[in-house]
Amino acid sequence: MHLLLVGISHRTAPVDLRERVDFQVRGVEAALGALSGRGTTNEAVVLSTCNRVEVYVACGEVEPTRNDVVAFLGEFHAIEPAALKPHVYDLTDLDVARHLFRVAAGLDSMVVGEPQILGQVKEAHTLATMARTAGPVLNRLFHSSFAAGKRVRTETALGSGAVSVSFAAVSLARKIFGDLRGRHVLVVGAGEMGKLTALHMKSQGVQSVTIVSRTMAHAARTAEAIGGASAAPWDEVGTAVGSSDIVITATGAGKPVFTKAQIEAVMRRRRSRPLFIIDIAMPRDVEAAAGEIEQVFLYNIDDLQATVQENLVRRANEVARAEAIVTEEVDRFGAWLRSRDAIPTVVALRQRFESVRRSELERLDFKLSALPPEARSRVEEITRLIVEKLLLTPTEQLKTLSDAEVLTAYTEALTKLFNLGQQAPSATETLDRRVEPFVRPSKRS
Amino acid sequence: MNAVPLALYSAAFLAYVWHFARRPATIGRAATTLLVAGALSHTFVIGMQTMDVGHVPLMTRASAISTFVWMLVLAYLYTEMTTDERAMGAFILPLAVALQIIPALNVGGTGGEERASVLRGPLFGLHVSSLLLSYASFALAAVIGITYMLLFKEIKAKHLGFFYTRLPSLQVLDTMNQRATVFGWVCLTVGLIVGAIWASQASAYASASPQVQQMSLQDPKIFVAVVCWAVYSFEVFAVRRLGWGGRRSAYLSAVGFAIVLLNFVPIGYFLTRSHNF
Repeated sequence: MHLLLVGISHRTAPVDLRERVDFQVRGVEAALGALSGRGTTNEAVVLSTCNRVEVYVACGEVEPTRNDVVAFLGEFHAIEPAALKPHVYDLTDLDVARHLFRVAAGLDSMVVGEPQILGQVKEAHTLATMARTAGPVLNRLFHSSFAAGKRVRTETALGSGAVSVSFAAVSLARKIFGDLRGRHVLVVGAGEMGKLTALHMKSQGVQSVTIVSRTMAHAARTAEAIGGASAAPWDEVGTAVGSSDIVITATGAGKPVFTKAQIEAVMRRRRSRPLFIIDIAMPRDVEAAAGEIEQVFLYNIDDLQATVQENLVRRANEVARAEAIVTEEVDRFGAWLRSRDAIPTVVALRQRFESVRRSELERLDFKLSALPPEARSRVEEITRLIVEKLLLTPTEQLKTLSDAEVLTAYTEALTKLFNLGQQAPSATETLDRRVEPFVRPSKRS
Repeated sequence: MNAVPLALYSAAFLAYVWHFARRPATIGRAATTLLVAGALSHTFVIGMQTMDVGHVPLMTRASAISTFVWMLVLAYLYTEMTTDERAMGAFILPLAVALQIIPALNVGGTGGEERASVLRGPLFGLHVSSLLLSYASFALAAVIGITYMLLFKEIKAKHLGFFYTRLPSLQVLDTMNQRATVFGWVCLTVGLIVGAIWASQASAYASASPQVQQMSLQDPKIFVAVVCWAVYSFEVFAVRRLGWGGRRSAYLSAVGFAIVLLNFVPIGYFLTRSHNF
């Protein structure tokens, strides 16, 4: 059994091609059905986001499956193979695991550390589970990826810090005021930037948004566009600042709208309740010296951009730690995958023991036939339990072996000692039939 | 016996620092578990001593410090459980560990827990326990105040770094600081008033006691306690009436607790003439 990944992402394909292969248009379920109907894959999961489309499969042979999955991508979306092939990448076995773990951890995202991708990976797995195309190997692979993603999130700062200006403003406001519900926001100026930042604040549940502009009609229009906001005339701007917690200034004025002295006067009336001023105007609306006033937190557009930059650098510094976690999880998954190589031997061993038990019972049948039926079934049960108990420890030991060489030595020894060569089915054959070795009924009875 | 809680508090301290710096969730849970274990063992120690001598161990300075540390840890655990915020542990526990060393090594605590004959009546117990409770609250307020100042400085300087990502918001820290201060101030007021009443009664029934004779504002311990009360009264007043929230009250909390600590350890051990029973 091999793992195979075929996909395209923001690293290999332009956005127009990514849009065309987006499975969400026709539904991932339909794609899973169509793919598994082709018969080349044993298990399949499709991860489709706006930045990547990846098909994860478990299969017997890599080469034909790879070609078939690429062909499927083209056929399903009606794209010429020649247009698709240069952008498609593929990985096999543990490289697939490493890639998926990196994706789940946000290491492969456009904005490193972004949090949505883990949810999208989980959703892709859920869809495949519902469509019954995910089996034991991909289930384990995806659950391991959730663990890797979660560990990276909790053990590193890869996802910390805002990486866009408007989110940086909201995150700062939350660090000053805690919960933003019940807070009052004032937007000075009716431009687009002010409106966008106000919308962002509004999505955080602030109690009120007030727009003040030199032209009352502009203010009213912007307030309407934001929805649930109110407009106030320009001559009330001082009072409005006094009753607000967060002030966003974004006028097109050529000189500062608020001087330090004005803000000081406002702060006296506010009895030093904190005031967060976000000055996104260029040139600036608030005198820089106003930031020196106690309990006034003044950030201009450059400050916000600088914090975004700092966060990006901090995230980049966490990459090495995140990669180390991914490697640990890949090693763990690899050990599990290798332990599956023991399954054919375990199956053969159990079959051998079962056949000995059966043949001995048959040989002694003439002696047992004198017994009442109840005693006979007791004998049957006791012999079965003895075999189970004898095999329990060796089975568990084989399952925990992760070193490929040791495993080979053990399976060879077992094959020789119990003469399993004749009956041990090949690994591929067994796994392809998704044999559960511990419940499989014997065919040799 | 005080060494067991000390060991557990020290282990919890290391875990809290580790959790604060690197934030692995398992270490955070381990830190809380260790601290709860420490608090339980400390409760056991204090419970045993109480059963042994018939009252809460407050008579020697070492046992009073041990009881204070126990209250501080419980107050912190209460804060952690109610706010689901572990960051403060890394700041509170150094204080708890440092102070717990005194009872663990039994520094200067040669005297027994037996109650000096002059220390009679329920008022004495109320006096000491309410003051210890107020000191524990002030310790919490001071540590919260210090973290407030650290975060405030980062936001003002526009360098959103280490503390920004780890501490709760300024508003939460401010509210926690003020609550702890007001609670501590109420306990301090009660403790001082009860102490004054007790002293006036004691001077009637034990006028020969040299300590009771020293019960006046000229005694360093009493004087500094009154200074403390003045500082915290001003803080409570300034926050309510002058709008001195935020950094100013955080600063006052830190200064106030520095005075408390001064009164509690060096003055309590070496200078006071009225409180060395």
